[in-house]
Amino acid sequence: MDTLGSLRDAAREHCVTVFVVDDGSEPAIDLATLPPSNEGFQVVLARHVTNLGQGAALETARQLAVMRGFDAYVTMDSDGQHSATDALALAQEILLGADVVFGNRFLGDSNVPRARALLLFGARWFERMLTGLPLADAHNGLRAFSARAVQHIVIQQNRMAHATEIKLRVAGAPSLEIVERPVSVRYSRSTLAKGQSAFGAARIIRDLALQYLFGEAA
Amino acid sequence: MTIGAFILLAFVLGIVAYDWVSLRGKNRRAVLLEMAAFLVGALFIAFPDRATALAHAVGIGRGVDFLMYPIVIWLVRESLMTRRRRLEYDEKLTSVVRALALVQAKAGDVEVTPAANAQGSSLAPRQSAGPSAS
Repeated sequence: MDTLGSLRDAAREHCVTVFVVDDGSEPAIDLATLPPSNEGFQVVLARHVTNLGQGAALETARQLAVMRGFDAYVTMDSDGQHSATDALALAQEILLGADVVFGNRFLGDSNVPRARALLLFGARWFERMLTGLPLADAHNGLRAFSARAVQHIVIQQNRMAHATEIKLRVAGAPSLEIVERPVSVRYSRSTLAKGQSAFGAARIIRDLALQYLFGEAA
Repeated sequence: MTIGAFILLAFVLGIVAYDWVSLRGKNRRAVLLEMAAFLVGALFIAFPDRATALAHAVGIGRGVDFLMYPIVIWLVRESLMTRRRRLEYDEKLTSVVRALALVQAKAGDVEVTPAANAQGSSLAPRQSAGPSAS
């Protein structure tokens, strides 16, 4: 939970609520082990009783945020890949008037392994073809939304296809101001083990196809 | 009867026998349906000439195609419908799990500091961050 600690430190000038969604994997997150709240910082913990996937966890966090109200909503991974400073910088872009801010790891201080960069190149091409959005990064979990934009970002993809789904929803929403901002993504052995593989990419395409075939009619 | 037909029939009988035995003490009606379906298949295996004659009567070249075409059509449909049902069940499960998570969501305890006590400050958020799962 170093991510939360650094977010707490970095957020001294802002009022921040962090929604941590425990995705049901073991061991469960104990609220008592998370950084305590103070006047400008609060952690809210929700737990899925069974593992549904990262997309499902993000949608639960989104609904918690919508219930409470906010000026800027940021999503980030909790495994230390993303920095609290970047998260706040993305939120700042929202406060300055953007509706959606996507992080771009290739412009920031990132250590993207070559194999991952190649996979992301394919993912970027795929998402551009699908959404028409001219973005330079794909499947970057560090993103920010305005309150207006969040209404459009209902995530139905429970697993990793949510990242493409989010872009599809952004592309389909009317008149959102979309920007891309450099962020740093630091890879370690453990984050690479958890991250996407070519097999994961095939699952993403399968999940998107299933949603297209059987999801709610547009 | 050819060796191939004999092997296929033995395979069918073996499967039916296994299903019958493994469902001992349970509802075996589905096995009866399975037996009826396999009986038709067994007749086609045992009497291929009759099957081909039947196929010719409706304009299909071989007896095996007479069976194969409807089976493939049914399997494709069954596969798609099963996918749909699984997706629907997944959506229901997600709704239930999420509803529980939202109801049971807890905020961390407030760190007691003199400043916080004095101000009695509200924690109404202006910014929110939603990190993903653990």
